[in-house]
Amino acid sequence: MTEDARATTVLLVGAMMVRLALTGAYAKYVRTGMGGVLLAAGILLVCLGLVGVARALGFGPKTGDTRGHDHAHGDRAGWLLLGPVLALLLVTPPALGSFGVGRSAAVDVSSGGRTFDPLPAGRTMPMTLLEFDDRAADHGGASFGATPVRLTGFVTPANDPTGFRIARYQIACCAADAVAAVVHVTGTTGNPPVRDQWVTLTGTFQRSADGVPELRATSFTEVPAPHDPYE
Amino acid sequence: MSRLPGVPTPASSPEAPPAADAAAPGRRPRGAGLPLVTVLIVAAVLLRPVLTGLLGHPAIANWATVFVAITIQALPFLVLGVAVSATIAAFVPPGLIARLLPKRPALAVPAAAVAGAALPGCECGSVPVAARLVSIGVTPAAAFAFLLSAPAINPVVLVSTAVAFPGRPAMVVARFVASLAASVAMGLLWIVLGRDDLITPQRSHRTEDGPRLTVFLATAQHDFLQAGGFLVIGAGTAATLQTLVPRRIVDSVAGTGPLSLLALGVLAVVVALCSEADAFVAAGLKQFSLTARLAFLVVGPMVDVKLFALQAGTFGTRFAWRFSLATFAVAVTCAGLVGWWLL
Repeated sequence: MTEDARATTVLLVGAMMVRLALTGAYAKYVRTGMGGVLLAAGILLVCLGLVGVARALGFGPKTGDTRGHDHAHGDRAGWLLLGPVLALLLVTPPALGSFGVGRSAAVDVSSGGRTFDPLPAGRTMPMTLLEFDDRAADHGGASFGATPVRLTGFVTPANDPTGFRIARYQIACCAADAVAAVVHVTGTTGNPPVRDQWVTLTGTFQRSADGVPELRATSFTEVPAPHDPYE
Repeated sequence: MSRLPGVPTPASSPEAPPAADAAAPGRRPRGAGLPLVTVLIVAAVLLRPVLTGLLGHPAIANWATVFVAITIQALPFLVLGVAVSATIAAFVPPGLIARLLPKRPALAVPAAAVAGAALPGCECGSVPVAARLVSIGVTPAAAFAFLLSAPAINPVVLVSTAVAFPGRPAMVVARFVASLAASVAMGLLWIVLGRDDLITPQRSHRTEDGPRLTVFLATAQHDFLQAGGFLVIGAGTAATLQTLVPRRIVDSVAGTGPLSLLALGVLAVVVALCSEADAFVAAGLKQFSLTARLAFLVVGPMVDVKLFALQAGTFGTRFAWRFSLATFAVAVTCAGLVGWWLL
């Protein structure tokens, strides 16, 4: 790579990271806590790229490293960094969908063998799918009582005789380590929503035989994908 | 930039530039890079409808998401590693680190392995740092011990392991002990069996005697592009394997016994998780014994497809094959022994 190509590539990668961090689009790929780190690293790269571009254009002292020959391998690999830049610039891969639900490892329910306090009666409790599954694994879901809960997830295909399933991924670091929490929804009438459609459901916990916790839904609405698609 | 012949001896490192490289104003016309970048971008824009159509396939969309996710997640750590590497190149007097380490390689290896605890981050960041250490004259065995231990025993990783395994502090201790033991064992093994001619000579900046800021910037740019390019290859490989091979396949392996150690070791290689996140995945592999899950945690930060690409790009493919296979065997053995002892 010549000096200006190198500087431009560094600049583009940095700009991509800054853009991801500022628009919030990074939440599709990595955990939300990483926004600041991405922004900082992106700014550093932008500065590094700008200095390099300035030098390639003839400002400031030369790095002494301006020629593109004599880089047998290694340097040439730098071109590949334009791959993710272009992918994000052009098409923005979506957040993980139902494709991986049946393929990922099962979610770690009842991690640490927690015992949950009973839910307060008399109001609807919003809750993550992971908490729903965890509570379901704790003493057969005793902590739910009769309290209705509200869940948000995307529709994932399954071969249940009744109802449909929703899922949501937990990620620890990035989408590569995602594991899905799944809930079986019953009690709805009409056709189930299409695969990968996000829905918000209200309903009560039901004991189930097959190990997938069940929600008897009293209402459900289709919603747009949330800003942070993971839990 | 010059490529330097001698890896091992400090004397041969910094100032041995091929003179021709310095003088002539270049064979390729300057400015050829910028148009090339522009052409690439224009071509990609024209191909946009095709790409968008491809993302309609769930498997391809899954691949693209995992690919981008691994790259994005690793880039900040790579920037950190590159910054450390460039700082060493520009601001640390040549030979200082080599002098700080014990003279005898057999003592330098454990010292370097323990020093790995000081680099918070995951495995992508430690490759440029280890390469820089080799280029400034640290004995390769010590640099490799650092390379292997840093992503596994730094405080951030240990804390996330403790969070992922609540009420099981033994898991954190076992991870630390087994990872450190495997790193030291690999360093010592390199002293006995390693051949320095397997390592691609590490470039070192011939502007080492120029203004320090210039050295810093040029090294940072070079190291970032080199490691970043191979990170992209590794991320693509990991995304392909994750999309083609369902993780559920490990469910078919028995949960205990030596085979389960191997199975989870191979899984760690294939899925190429960040070492700060792998403990959470290991916690979920409940059908496996704690020792097998320890193997997952010890192998992952030392050998995986992403790391292999980075090592191959930095030290050469011939090195990476031998080194990765040996590391895998040593890591699984250490995990087995430590698990049998502590878990």
